[in-house]
Amino acid sequence: MSGKKDNGRYAVGLTVNGARRDVVVQAGETLLDLLRRHLRLTGTKCGCEVGECGACTVVLDGKAVNSCMVLAVQADSCNVTTIEGLADADGLHPLQEAFLEVGAVQCGFCTPGMLMSAWAVLQENPGPTRAEVTRAIAGNLCRCTGYQMVVDAIMQAAKKPD
Amino acid sequence: MTEVTTTRFVRPGSLEEAVGILRDGPGKWTLLAGGTDLLVRMRDGAVRPEGVIDLTGVREMSDIGVVEGHVVVGALVTHARLAGDDVVRRHGMALAEAADLVGSPQIRNRGTLGGNVMNASPAADAVPPLFVLAAEIRLVGPAGERWVPVDEFATGPGITVKREDEILAAVRFEAEGGTFRSRFARMGTRKALAIAKVSVAIGARRAGPGGDLDRVRVALGAVAPTVIRARKAETLLEGARLSEATIEAAAAAVMDEARPISDIRSTAEYRREMCGVLTRRLLNAAEGE
Repeated sequence: MSGKKDNGRYAVGLTVNGARRDVVVQAGETLLDLLRRHLRLTGTKCGCEVGECGACTVVLDGKAVNSCMVLAVQADSCNVTTIEGLADADGLHPLQEAFLEVGAVQCGFCTPGMLMSAWAVLQENPGPTRAEVTRAIAGNLCRCTGYQMVVDAIMQAAKKPD
Repeated sequence: MTEVTTTRFVRPGSLEEAVGILRDGPGKWTLLAGGTDLLVRMRDGAVRPEGVIDLTGVREMSDIGVVEGHVVVGALVTHARLAGDDVVRRHGMALAEAADLVGSPQIRNRGTLGGNVMNASPAADAVPPLFVLAAEIRLVGPAGERWVPVDEFATGPGITVKREDEILAAVRFEAEGGTFRSRFARMGTRKALAIAKVSVAIGARRAGPGGDLDRVRVALGAVAPTVIRARKAETLLEGARLSEATIEAAAAAVMDEARPISDIRSTAEYRREMCGVLTRRLLNAAEGE
């Protein structure tokens, strides 16, 4: 259980993109607040804040979740992967490369969340069908692309070795 | 950003501990499971608790098991897990199908069966299946536990018989998947992230393909202040065989029994019509099996 501090503040220890992070948060702050305000990981976007747009999607203990729908204190002892955790020293993740090659990015606001949903589904199912990909990103709204290029990019990345 | 306002957070490790915290601070606490509805309502100010009791650390509320002929599903089981669980699919297919249609992948990974039932929304996806499975709700409080039939649990939109000092701990239904079959269908503006305009669940026992139906139950979502049973349709189908004529009669009875309203999501006329369509669809599929 997270440690109680004064004035409704709580110590949270979690792993973010492979690194242990310790943060003191308010009881009402969300995981999205923890990432953006406390850790300055602003790749995760703040969209609707009611769990409908998916712009704030991160992977929490292996599952895609809306970080606006999780209290920061609930993420204590958890493992979180954000968009900042996809690329490594060798360069962009194959999914990111595919999004660029296919042209799956227009304004870009939905892209981090879209990539995290895509990443989560490929972790569980490395060879998804087009229908499975469509379903995996059903919780991520995009107002620019019409989704076709996004699905194309995820299908292309799934064919390549990670 | 709009803020989630609350000042205290506790995460008990057992149901007993959670009940104790609730008992010692009446009116102070709100119970949190998946948070997919609660955080929205805390953000818009509809719920302003002094503190939040996070139930997700209560292991005994997180399991699916078969106990004394019943499937017992802990209140904290997520929609994603329900949708893919073999025991639930065998004994309560309608519930698994409904869980698979809730919200989005992100919502299904967090949202829980207990939360869906507690919201007492007439459009809650999991509830019509629980009606046809004749499920019971386990409530645990300082005085002990009680089991409430699911069709007595919600008394109006957002209103339930759960007392303030009780916790919804589990849901159970008979493990009779060998003979009892159930299915669920719903209609919304789009497949994901749309609350149902109307939903239908049907369950029955059948003595082999083409055999007579018995123990027929039909439940309708989003067409009354709570989920309701379509009892005329049930009576029509009880003891009958599925045929074009019985399916038409059952669909007509369902349309007659629905009491829909017009609101932001749909009109009363459309809802009534679609109750019939979904009923026909489910029964036609069953006839072909």
